[in-house]
Amino acid sequence: MAVDEGHRTVSVTINGIEIEVPQGELIVESVKRLGLEIPVFCYHPRMKPVGMCRMCLVEIGFKQPDGSVRMMPKPQAGCTLPASEGMVVLTDSESVHRDRKGVLEFLLVNHPLDCPVCDRGGECPLQNNTLAYGPSTSRFIDLKRHLPKAYPLSQYVMLDLERCIQCGRCVRFTEEISGEHELAFRFRGASMQPSTFQLLDFESKFSGNVIEICPVGALTSAQYRFRARPWDLQTTPAVCTACSNGCNVWFDHRAGRFVRINGRINEGVNEEWTCDKGKFGHDYYNSTDRLRTPLVRKGDQFVEATWAEAYEEIVKGLESAGKDVAGLCGTRIANEGLFLFNRLFKQVLGSRSVDHRWTRTLGTSRVQTPIAGIEGKKGVLVFGSNPAEDLPIVFLRLRKAATRNGTQVTVVTPDVTEADAFATVASRIGQGDVLKVAQEIVDGQSELARKVADCLKEDGAIVTSDRVRNLPGGGEALRLLEDLAARCGAEFNCYPTGPNAMGAELLGVLPGDGGLDTWGILQGCCSGTIKALWLLDCDPTTVEGGDQALESAEFLVYQGVTRSEATAFANVVLPMAAPAEQDGTWTNCERRLQRMTQAIAAPGDSKPAWRIFSEVILRLQPSTPFFNPREIMKAIADADPRFLPGASDLPEEGAILSATTQAAMAGDGA
Amino acid sequence: MAEMKLLLEHSNDPEYATLKGYLAKGGYTGLGKALKMERQAVIDSVKASGLRGRGGAGFPAWIKWNGIEKEITKPHYMICNADEGEPGTFKDKELMENTPFLVIEGMTIGGYATQSKVGYIYIRGEFVDACRAMRKAIDEAYANGYLGKNILGSGVDFDLYIHTGAGSYECGEESALMSSLMGERGMPRLKFPHAPLPTVAGLWDCPTIINNVETYSCVPFILDRGGEWYATLGASTKNSRGTKIFSVSGHVNKPGNYEVEFGTTLMELLDLAGGMKGGMLKACVPGGSSVPIINAADCERAIIGYEEMAEVKSMVGSGGCMFLNEHTCIVSFIWRTAQFYANESCGKCTPCREGTKWMFQILDRIVRGKGQPGDAELLVDITKQIDGRSFCGLGDAAAWPVAGAIRVFPEEFEYFIKNGRSMVDSAESRAMAPKWAQPAYS
Ligand SMILES: Cc1cc2nc3c(=O)[nH]c(=O)nc-3n(C[C@H](O)[C@H](O)[C@H](O)COP(=O)(O)O)c2cc1C
Ligand code: SF4
Ligand code: SF4
Ligand code: FES
Repeated sequence: MAVDEGHRTVSVTINGIEIEVPQGELIVESVKRLGLEIPVFCYHPRMKPVGMCRMCLVEIGFKQPDGSVRMMPKPQAGCTLPASEGMVVLTDSESVHRDRKGVLEFLLVNHPLDCPVCDRGGECPLQNNTLAYGPSTSRFIDLKRHLPKAYPLSQYVMLDLERCIQCGRCVRFTEEISGEHELAFRFRGASMQPSTFQLLDFESKFSGNVIEICPVGALTSAQYRFRARPWDLQTTPAVCTACSNGCNVWFDHRAGRFVRINGRINEGVNEEWTCDKGKFGHDYYNSTDRLRTPLVRKGDQFVEATWAEAYEEIVKGLESAGKDVAGLCGTRIANEGLFLFNRLFKQVLGSRSVDHRWTRTLGTSRVQTPIAGIEGKKGVLVFGSNPAEDLPIVFLRLRKAATRNGTQVTVVTPDVTEADAFATVASRIGQGDVLKVAQEIVDGQSELARKVADCLKEDGAIVTSDRVRNLPGGGEALRLLEDLAARCGAEFNCYPTGPNAMGAELLGVLPGDGGLDTWGILQGCCSGTIKALWLLDCDPTTVEGGDQALESAEFLVYQGVTRSEATAFANVVLPMAAPAEQDGTWTNCERRLQRMTQAIAAPGDSKPAWRIFSEVILRLQPSTPFFNPREIMKAIADADPRFLPGASDLPEEGAILSATTQAAMAGDGA
Repeated sequence: MAEMKLLLEHSNDPEYATLKGYLAKGGYTGLGKALKMERQAVIDSVKASGLRGRGGAGFPAWIKWNGIEKEITKPHYMICNADEGEPGTFKDKELMENTPFLVIEGMTIGGYATQSKVGYIYIRGEFVDACRAMRKAIDEAYANGYLGKNILGSGVDFDLYIHTGAGSYECGEESALMSSLMGERGMPRLKFPHAPLPTVAGLWDCPTIINNVETYSCVPFILDRGGEWYATLGASTKNSRGTKIFSVSGHVNKPGNYEVEFGTTLMELLDLAGGMKGGMLKACVPGGSSVPIINAADCERAIIGYEEMAEVKSMVGSGGCMFLNEHTCIVSFIWRTAQFYANESCGKCTPCREGTKWMFQILDRIVRGKGQPGDAELLVDITKQIDGRSFCGLGDAAAWPVAGAIRVFPEEFEYFIKNGRSMVDSAESRAMAPKWAQPAYS
């Protein structure tokens, strides 16, 4: 983390080479400019440097006015030392190497060296630094420290106290990044150990990150423990599809099976973090509930079918329903699949009844602030929804903004939120009072209203999510706040929460003119105006009236990755590939278009959504089918210039799409 | 030169611990004079006195005081380091118990000079009596206008709070003390040039002065009689001025606190403490358990002074002076010292956390008769890997005594390692060592 002290640069001499670096930049960072490395353990570029492990000791001197160099008598920690004019740094001297050996010898004295059975073995900074800088033999013949080796901190995180090198990264993560303050050191000296308060559960929405930043195998994932050797894993860059934030991740797999998720750097989105829902929420890939072959109902039984048989059944069912067909979808579907789903209904079947939304009242989202943009806001009003729960990565940015940049945060929500901890004002909405409170804020008379106005008066933003629409009066409340934002020049963000909900919305997977929305469709099924219903990876049995609707539908197609309650009602069941089992693009809550490439094969006969729809359309309407997702993206971009960035090679960090078609046509990137 | 009682002059007089008794003996004339002076003149007076910090490092007090911003942009704080955890040192305890007003007056003068309105006394948790005495004195000072708002009608405000520690040696290290004071775990913080000096950003990131109890206690005299006068004390030394209190312990006839002028010899100090008991002088740890041990020959030529002590490769430190007689087993002595540091390491940095424990494990093995050839060399190597590499001074303080003892008494270590028993394993030595300090011989 560079300490920003304006834009002044200073000249420092590193191993005899003079370079200009920003004043105050930490020496560990400065040496990277010359392609050099200072080994570290406790230093993490996204957290405040602490200088604990002493791995980064280097020799430091200062140029004197007479041209000579005065070396400091003691080596200095490069991870905490800010660069200043005339500084001389030696990273490769004999004494620096001696110090590194010394520190590594100390660290290994009490380390169990159980590398053969350690998850971290092969990707372990302690192993790597020892290989590069450590002593080849140990002089330690006394008893090693013995401590619990498999302490479950939570259902996700296991702690091996013998392997811990007391670097404090995990502790600092919960203090500085997630803000949950769940971990702290207890005891002192060689007995010091990271711990939760009184060894209670490590309750966190972001606990998985500590596993990744731990420089040894002290913190391991309960899910991944002992399942693979890192060098046996293949990894594919991917996008997390657990929610709309679209974190960049590494999708690790072995022999065609998903193994684990690790954070991948995208400065605009998740920096390098993940939330626990994302990190631990992908085990459905290996679930026994996965659908593997198409199923067709024969009487009250499903029989396995070929795709051709399933399609035949579907074509029959759809044709007999005529225009009284409707489609409902979830949002864990790539843009390409959603696009063809929409096309199937609106262009091929001539229905206007399609929807992807499941909130009690329905509306569209509006997003003006990209995730990284939150950092620059002076004031943010969090309204109605708990960002840590609904928008975890937006929450981390918000916290960073508040704690590092002094952004003033006002929280107005029904329940206590994690954001209260750094909010200047935290106010609760009573049951059923969302609209009342929104009205009060807009009226500007009350104490709360004045505080909100103060928070938004300059460079402000409102952060809320589509979940507010689940509250009575929520939709109306959002409208009021949107107007308020417009009036006080603040940005308004009602972020969608479903993984590709933003994609679905931009692609228009919404009822067309005169078409029915989600609730209309479900009612239509009951009243008989909708005869055939296609469920694309969604389960209406979880919402009110869903069971009845599915029971009433004359013809029901269930297309999904895994079996759900809704599967039982279907006439035809189609197995679908999961996100990382196909190529495709995804649009996160800030309209960032990101590409995923296939990491593993889909199980059994399952196919990606886009291929299923392409094949169904072909059977209903002779035309040239799409052969791959890129062709579909070109077609999307032809139809909607906002998607143009997707038609060519997307940059690695993705591209934020314009909010409006006009802006996209004018070539405005934002 | 003999004893020179300045701070301790009235320490036997219980009245001196009351405001009335203190005033009767000329107390608060220093503050009275200071309040009539320009703030800078007060600092200049401390500069002229040559007063150096009595907490261990001997850093010139005036440089800290002068380093505080002169224009107030943030609150300024004064901290009195009364954690006195260094084994062998018990002078701050006596000062707080018997001369509490000296500490209060010294801090008040400092508060005026540096425009600090708030002071904290961080007292070692075990010092219950000292804490009570300070509490009582502070209450009395408040009641009589010597603390609080508008002190002695001068318009100067100074509030003084006591904070007690919870039993960690490391909390005497100034930055760890500040962490502890701020309610955090008592771990040291980054220091210059890695972070601003405490005089720029200390307690709650505000300009902060931290000095030892004894350092503050010198200040009233300096202001009362003038810095120049104070500087005449100890003038025979290179750069140490005034008096220094030594807590003399060990095999001496009259252990206790003795105040001497800088320039006094170590042997004169020993004489003050009644000379050796139970045997001839063998060695001395002159400045608290962290400083290197010196042998009898060096004791003979040691002069008390910051630079002078360096001549015999040791230090004035905090003044915890332990004299050891001929029946002392140096290896066992160092074993106990090493145990202390291994217990007290805060755990923050690798060299100290792992090194102090490892050193203790090796010494423990040696005193149990299981020493291995090469152990002494290994110990020396470990001290080199800690010294100057640790995050704070505790690591250094743990390394020096071990390195020093092996340098000065190599034969004792060799003997113990080779023969599995102490070179001075006599009836006297066994009888002398207190039970708790005796390694469990296997
Ligand atoms: C491990 C360690 C423990 C210390 N303990 C004390 C202590 O108990 N009392 C004290 O006055 N200084 C102690 N010091 C020194 C302080 O860090 C600091 O230098 C001192 O309080 C400054 O005051 P002075 O300039 O008046 O000496 C300790 C230093 C270290 C490294
Ligand atoms: S558990 Fe890992 S991250 Fe935490 S202190 Fe130990 S080594 Fe560091
Ligand atoms: S040297 Fe290191 S471990 Fe020891 S007390 Fe200081 S910071 Fe803590
Ligand atoms: S990386 Fe610098 S001290 Fe740990």
